[in-house]
Amino acid sequence: MAEHNIPEYKANWKKEEQGKWGMAIDMDLCTGCNACVAACAMENNIPFVGEEDAGYGRGMHWIRIERLWDGKYPDVRTDFQPAMCQQCNAAPCESVCPVFASVHSRAEKLNVQVYNRCVGTRYCANNCPYTVRTFNWRDYDRPEPLNNQLNPDVTVRRRGVMEKCTFCIQRIHKAQDQAKAEGREVFDGEVQTACAQACPADAIVFGRVDDPESRVSRLARQGRGYKLLDVLGTLPQVTYLKGGSHVRTG
Amino acid sequence: MTETTEKNMLLALFEDVDPAAHAVDKLRTLGLDNEHVNVISGTPITEAMLGRPHQKTNIPRMAMAGATGGLLVGIFFAFGTPALYPVYVGGQPLFAVPPSVVVMFELTMLGIMISTFLGVFLDSHFPSYGPKVYVPEISDGYIALLIDCPEEQEDEVKKAMTEVGAASVKYAEVQAL
Amino acid sequence: MSVLAKPLAGAHAHEEHDHEAELRKENLLLDPKPRGEMNAMVMDMMGGTTWKFWLVAAIMGALVLWGVFYSWGVMIIEGLGIAGVNQPVYWGLFLVHTVFWIGISHAGTFVSALLRVFKAEFRRPFTRAAELMTTFALAQAGIMIFAHMGRVWLAYWMFPLPNQRQLWTNFHSPLMWDFLAINTYLLSSTMYLYLPLIPDLAMARDRSTGWRKKVYSIMALGWRGTEGEWTHLRTALNIFAFAILPIMFSVHTIVSWDFAVATRPFWNSTIFGPYFVVGAIHSGVAAVAMVLVVLRATIRNMDYFLRPQHFDILGKLILIISMAWAYFFFNDLMVQWYGGDKWTSELLHFHEAGKWGWIWFLMLICNVAIPWLTLWNKKIRRSPWLLFTIGLLINVGMWAERFIIVPVSLAINRTPFRWGDYEAGVEVPIFIGSLALFILLYMLASRILPLVPVWEVQEGQMAHSIRRYGKEPVVTVSDLE
Repeated sequence: MAEHNIPEYKANWKKEEQGKWGMAIDMDLCTGCNACVAACAMENNIPFVGEEDAGYGRGMHWIRIERLWDGKYPDVRTDFQPAMCQQCNAAPCESVCPVFASVHSRAEKLNVQVYNRCVGTRYCANNCPYTVRTFNWRDYDRPEPLNNQLNPDVTVRRRGVMEKCTFCIQRIHKAQDQAKAEGREVFDGEVQTACAQACPADAIVFGRVDDPESRVSRLARQGRGYKLLDVLGTLPQVTYLKGGSHVRTG
Repeated sequence: MTETTEKNMLLALFEDVDPAAHAVDKLRTLGLDNEHVNVISGTPITEAMLGRPHQKTNIPRMAMAGATGGLLVGIFFAFGTPALYPVYVGGQPLFAVPPSVVVMFELTMLGIMISTFLGVFLDSHFPSYGPKVYVPEISDGYIALLIDCPEEQEDEVKKAMTEVGAASVKYAEVQAL
Repeated sequence: MSVLAKPLAGAHAHEEHDHEAELRKENLLLDPKPRGEMNAMVMDMMGGTTWKFWLVAAIMGALVLWGVFYSWGVMIIEGLGIAGVNQPVYWGLFLVHTVFWIGISHAGTFVSALLRVFKAEFRRPFTRAAELMTTFALAQAGIMIFAHMGRVWLAYWMFPLPNQRQLWTNFHSPLMWDFLAINTYLLSSTMYLYLPLIPDLAMARDRSTGWRKKVYSIMALGWRGTEGEWTHLRTALNIFAFAILPIMFSVHTIVSWDFAVATRPFWNSTIFGPYFVVGAIHSGVAAVAMVLVVLRATIRNMDYFLRPQHFDILGKLILIISMAWAYFFFNDLMVQWYGGDKWTSELLHFHEAGKWGWIWFLMLICNVAIPWLTLWNKKIRRSPWLLFTIGLLINVGMWAERFIIVPVSLAINRTPFRWGDYEAGVEVPIFIGSLALFILLYMLASRILPLVPVWEVQEGQMAHSIRRYGKEPVVTVSDLE
């Protein structure tokens, strides 16, 4: 974790850019415990939709653990694949929103969902090949004292608005503000998304992918690395690491 | 041709195209050229059927103007708004040709339609609710010749029209429609 | 008394006279009546409304209040949770019905513009009835579009207008192309309905009293029928007829692009454009046939204007369009199937053999099998209620096609962990309300507007005559324009 005062990679930044954030997820380490799912829900004020709606496909998890079965009984193996917004560089969800509620931020190079601009046509969700977008089908209750659990750094969304994983952009901004106040750069590993922070196996690694020496960049360069549905040309920012010779479904 | 309140005009009603066409010829021999005769009918009778010159209309030119206007608005939407409010989406270029073609096409067509429609109003001076020369028989299929002739010629014209087969010849009354 | 197309003078042999009489009975344009009489017939259509009419109208009104106002109102307050959409089927019946109503709207433009451009004279008595369908169907499509939005009270954000926040809309989005195209089509269609209506409104003004006369006088704009007015009107109608055709084609193509530009399996198909246009014309012309059968059965004097010949020709048209639809459907299916992409194969299998497989088969039976098995037969085509049934089944089949394309195709995607299903909720009452609103609007319009464009019918009758070609009396059409 080197501290760069004047990192070379900053020379490549265009106007307004402040670095490019990405993730590396090691599926060989993931145990499928779902701690990341719970942490994400707490961090981002994700509502609880109730049993009936959840059963009808209205759950609002921004990250999900997919279970991929391999082999025949009794030699069954399960691979766990955490899937969240891939923050695609060529995001299909962005071009189809009629009101520019889904745009690519120039500063962090993330796909940002603008809640107060969304009119709820849900075209972005249909166009996401990873099916990671969730919609507020109703106004969800948080009866006392559950409202105490809300994170003040993150807004609460009303009915009719689309939402999805933001790579915990509020944490990115907090770290950047802190670093700026202290007159230094954000160092690698300072920003942790909620899911990365909660993972007991350290399977989720978050950091700057434009810094070639950051942990996430080094992991992404490994031979085990692949991207989901990369044949579609979405240029996702999340690299999955999986050893072994079996065919991947992604 | 504008209605005049100084003298009365004659209104000759015909049941059919042929007598009306003969009547127009007859009026020409009496010295009343096309400027002094107006035709009102319940079905479109082309000028050629009555031996009259082709009527000019501004509508095609207005349609072209509307198309141009629409195209300019389309260009503004497709290229002007991204210049004013640059937002990059989907890894696509800011000024992209394929979506712009769609936008420019639709607005060009809208321009043609609206300008053609308004052209009818402008060229025909619609809406016009003042009193006019008209008789309800016209919408029952009669062809009316509105003749603007000097007073001395009136009787001659009346006689000629009746000879040719007019159903009626009388003074045109200006009335509310 | 007024203009009459005169038959051939001279003596006829007995059989030829009968043949001529048959021709006159068959073809409206060979069977002219004095204009005054036709005017009276059309004016008569708007009067004499019975209690049965008002009863049906009241029922429709009640359905509209329940379906459109109440159900949609509750949905706006509660959110889309009471509809059937979910993850991954984010679009459901609202989109199906949007496409359905826009499809039906193509009926009017097809009849009044395409047939006019091709100088198909048989269109004359029913162009207005078809154009009314377009305007009212587009209104229902608008309801469905607004209903599917999560925050419909902010729908005005889709209007590209300069504003304080310096925001513009995203013209890269097919939904913005939809916004422009559908509004262009709605405006153009309404203008194209109104222009040829003006001379008939003038006729109605001349023949009515009281409040009707006031209304018609205002709407007729002071029309008299001078040379200038007719020239301007006919020039405008020619421009409209030619120009509204590319608009009609572009509207449903752009609607199809809502699906075709997406990255979903099966949706990403380059043939969706023409496939949807032909599908729209298919459901549209079938709907015209349905409406004309009802008009002929319920409105007095209509049986003079609408004759078995019209149903005959409409039936033939429907058969040909059904073949075109089958061509495009097979083209799409065959190419996608052959490509063998794993997700598309999975989805195609789900279409035919999954939970909704019966709807897929219903679509093929109604859109292809039934027209192909029946409409070659002249007797069937000419019998109004059989044609009505066939038209109804075709519309059911086209509804099924859109159901397969939207919710069924969304259930399967490239992430099996997020495959889903669809169960309709409040979309159903809202659709029933929109159907009732369409019918109600049409019923009310029939009381106020002259449904038959009499001046166009007379124009056609003036152009048609019977002459002798050798020994046979033949129909002759002159090009009077």
